[in-house]
Amino acid sequence: MKRLQDFTVGDTFGLVREVDPYRPIYYAAASGDFNPIHIDPELGRAAGYHGVILQGMCTYSWMAEACVAYLGDPTRLSHVRARFTKPVQVGDVITFEGRCAGIEGGVIRLEVTARNQRGEEILKGATAEGRAGEG
Amino acid sequence: MPIDRKHLGRRYGPYRFPVGLQQIRDFVAAVGGGVPGHVFSAPPDRTHPWTWDEEAAQRSPHGGLVAPPTFATAFAIEPFANACSDPELAVNVLRLVHGEQEFEFLEPVRPGDLLETTGEVTRIQERGNLDFLEVTTTTRNQHGRIVVKGVWTAIVRN
Repeated sequence: MKRLQDFTVGDTFGLVREVDPYRPIYYAAASGDFNPIHIDPELGRAAGYHGVILQGMCTYSWMAEACVAYLGDPTRLSHVRARFTKPVQVGDVITFEGRCAGIEGGVIRLEVTARNQRGEEILKGATAEGRAGEG
Repeated sequence: MPIDRKHLGRRYGPYRFPVGLQQIRDFVAAVGGGVPGHVFSAPPDRTHPWTWDEEAAQRSPHGGLVAPPTFATAFAIEPFANACSDPELAVNVLRLVHGEQEFEFLEPVRPGDLLETTGEVTRIQERGNLDFLEVTTTTRNQHGRIVVKGVWTAIVRN
């Protein structure tokens, strides 16, 4: 496993995830978030979308997943924050690009962008922090 | 109608959540491109092995499976969800979106943990035609240690 000295400011990492038609339902089953806006396309349309929208927390979990893969251990992630700026819909392909923005006092600071296939930002101000030992 | 600021400080919970191995694996499958459950289920296409593969997790420094950090969504969302659907706050959920999310992770979550989450309305703010409703949650495990703190923000179009 990577030690603190193996992380370098400027390191990059990434993840691409596609929203298949069942993803909002699978995520609802696993997270307990059965808000009908994620299940019922008619309701989604009534709310002004093309159909159902994916739970924001699924997208957020993808961002965290990308950070965890970079940090090397799920328990190293100590802080995550993001604003949801655009709904994510079935068929969207989301590209996460992360960068190590700083390392100070054993804390690794990460910045992540998330864009859909049209290049629109779906998260803003997405940042994370991780802790790693010197080993 | 804007949310009445008198609800600032309104509390929700405690909500108890016994963590099961299958719940963690279902969450990992759902997030990781797989299919949760027992029937027609499918593994994640990729994920951290210590959140999925029990054998790999046994050999890890943690000695067993750990939940991915954002599994917190499954056990800590209740105060936020219940605030959003609280008749006293009268939020139109069709006009509501999850606007912002912050987590601070302090302790790993493992199968068998018994978690308890409480929450409090910490911000009600009107900005133009938008209402911001913020709920701050704290989750402790059976040892009394704080596992995760969350700040959940909903935005309601008026």
